[in-house]
Amino acid sequence: MNNGFIILIMASCFLGFGYMGVPVVFSITAGVLVAASLTKISFGSIVGQMFHGIDAEALLAIPFFLLVGELMTAANVTTRMIVLAQTLVGHLRGGLAQVVTVFSIFFAGISGSSTADVAALARTVGPEMDKEGYDRAFTAALIAAAATIANLIPPSIMAVVYGATGNVSIGGLFLAGVVPGLMVGAGLMIYSYFFGPPGIHRPRATFGQFSEATKAAALPLVIPIIIMGGILTGWFTPTEAGLVAVTYIVFFLIPIMNRGHLKNLPRDFANVGLMYSIPLAAVAAASAFGWMLAFLKGPEVVSGWISDVAGTNAILIMLLLVVLFVIVGDFVDAVPAIIIFMPILNALAELGQIHPVHMGVTIITTLAFGLITPPYGITLLMSSKFVGVSFMAAVKRSLPLYIVFFTTILFCVFFPRVVLWLPKTLLPESVGCFKNPSGPGHICPQF
Amino acid sequence: MSSSFVVPRDRHLKWPSLDWLEALLYILCGVCIIGFSLCVLADVTSRELGRPWLWLQQFTTGFFAWGVFIGMALAARRNDHMYLAEIVQSMEGNKRRNLEVFSRLVVLVVSLFLVVFGWANFLNDMGSYRMPSLIPLGYYTISVPIAGALVALFQVEQIVNGLKNGFPDPVASTEQVAS
Repeated sequence: MNNGFIILIMASCFLGFGYMGVPVVFSITAGVLVAASLTKISFGSIVGQMFHGIDAEALLAIPFFLLVGELMTAANVTTRMIVLAQTLVGHLRGGLAQVVTVFSIFFAGISGSSTADVAALARTVGPEMDKEGYDRAFTAALIAAAATIANLIPPSIMAVVYGATGNVSIGGLFLAGVVPGLMVGAGLMIYSYFFGPPGIHRPRATFGQFSEATKAAALPLVIPIIIMGGILTGWFTPTEAGLVAVTYIVFFLIPIMNRGHLKNLPRDFANVGLMYSIPLAAVAAASAFGWMLAFLKGPEVVSGWISDVAGTNAILIMLLLVVLFVIVGDFVDAVPAIIIFMPILNALAELGQIHPVHMGVTIITTLAFGLITPPYGITLLMSSKFVGVSFMAAVKRSLPLYIVFFTTILFCVFFPRVVLWLPKTLLPESVGCFKNPSGPGHICPQF
Repeated sequence: MSSSFVVPRDRHLKWPSLDWLEALLYILCGVCIIGFSLCVLADVTSRELGRPWLWLQQFTTGFFAWGVFIGMALAARRNDHMYLAEIVQSMEGNKRRNLEVFSRLVVLVVSLFLVVFGWANFLNDMGSYRMPSLIPLGYYTISVPIAGALVALFQVEQIVNGLKNGFPDPVASTEQVAS
């Protein structure tokens, strides 16, 4: 049977079963098993591939970054960061909307997941915005859009998965995510300032209030320094940096800030034990899917289609990939999407001579956008549920925010030098630079 | 004790006699993540002290993999997995019942594949060893058929109870009406 036809059957089974209510992990596996029955590949090797898909050291970082977010939220430490954000931007037009974005930027430096961010904001700032008369659909849309920043600013779980499966420097992806992360944040703040509800006007915080809020939030804000400092200095791998952050929270932060929460720690750990298994089970299934796709020469077929249109033009290849991933991100969760399409991404990066970190950060930004687009915009689904508004109403209010994401994605495509500037400066090896043998500094490839 | 570890959601789809299993799996999720956190901590500490315990990494990946597959089984009982869409929730009557049964049958078939072929892989992997600890690879890969068996059990439980009591959660429906 023709390989293209088998790929079509495999993808149709996955999407068909998925939309009929079969959980993602099982709908992907069902699609792969159906495809395997049409080839010479044994079912045993498919099941084996599922295990090997999660047997990667870099993936161990994921539970730690989830744990950091869960512990910070469960122990109510995040409220101090919200107060700090309030003293910084609460006086601007749409004060609470600005607080949502600034808090998300802070929290993104601590947790790698959007879900913890949505939960923290919807429980704390959400009710306050309601009291101040903000339209609930706007609140849900803004919280969801701001929460996507967690996937861009380090540490990012999407970057860990991308780096682990694509053999790309995770440190490099972390640093390259800073520019698009800040751009999305700035875009949301500009939108809220000019086009969002005005909210209640508050006086600017005094220096005393600001310094008090900074002091209260100082201990949690050490976490990004621990994580990125450890990775940049080469002391820790991302996994170890995550562990050090968890150790800091368990043995230092919670005993000082919320001692009463210590008795709940075993439950927090068990919750995260379940929480991390859900995306990673999808990783296991998706890696079997990606493996089957590679066996069926899917990467060659898709990269053939793209190269027929774009040739070897890097910009055109990237733009077509962005279109592809905007569509994929509408229907499939980001983590399985990264793994399923990784062989195609690798083939196209080679074809267009695109830097893997540049390609990675553009794809991650596009998939982060997918978190707020229907029908499968998971953070928007969550925030609309928490805020208490219909999903479609939140979708309508999030439409203008799409412009912020499109601008950021296009910026990533067209300005690789800006995106790669931070990794090139702070972690030159991550973007292929090597030490100059005959002098100071590094010798780097052209981007 | 077990009741606090069992989520009340979809109670009508669960046999009370299997609640201990949900509680056990939940505790094991906690044990796995604590175990693997301690292993990474010991790994970093021993390395910093200049006496690295290389075999610790194999314990780490063991806890990690077991945690993933145990969590997969637990999420199947709690209906906590990721879904592409929740169109089933908006349906009613026979249409909904048929789709609910069909989706669980698909999961059941897939989980039986995991049991049969995962078991074959386990037997094969008992002859392969991880270096330097010399732990048989089978000790890791047996987590796959065990998870498959648990998922299959939970699908049977949900299909039988769903056909008997209906699939929509009566508690959630009452809450929706009240709100």
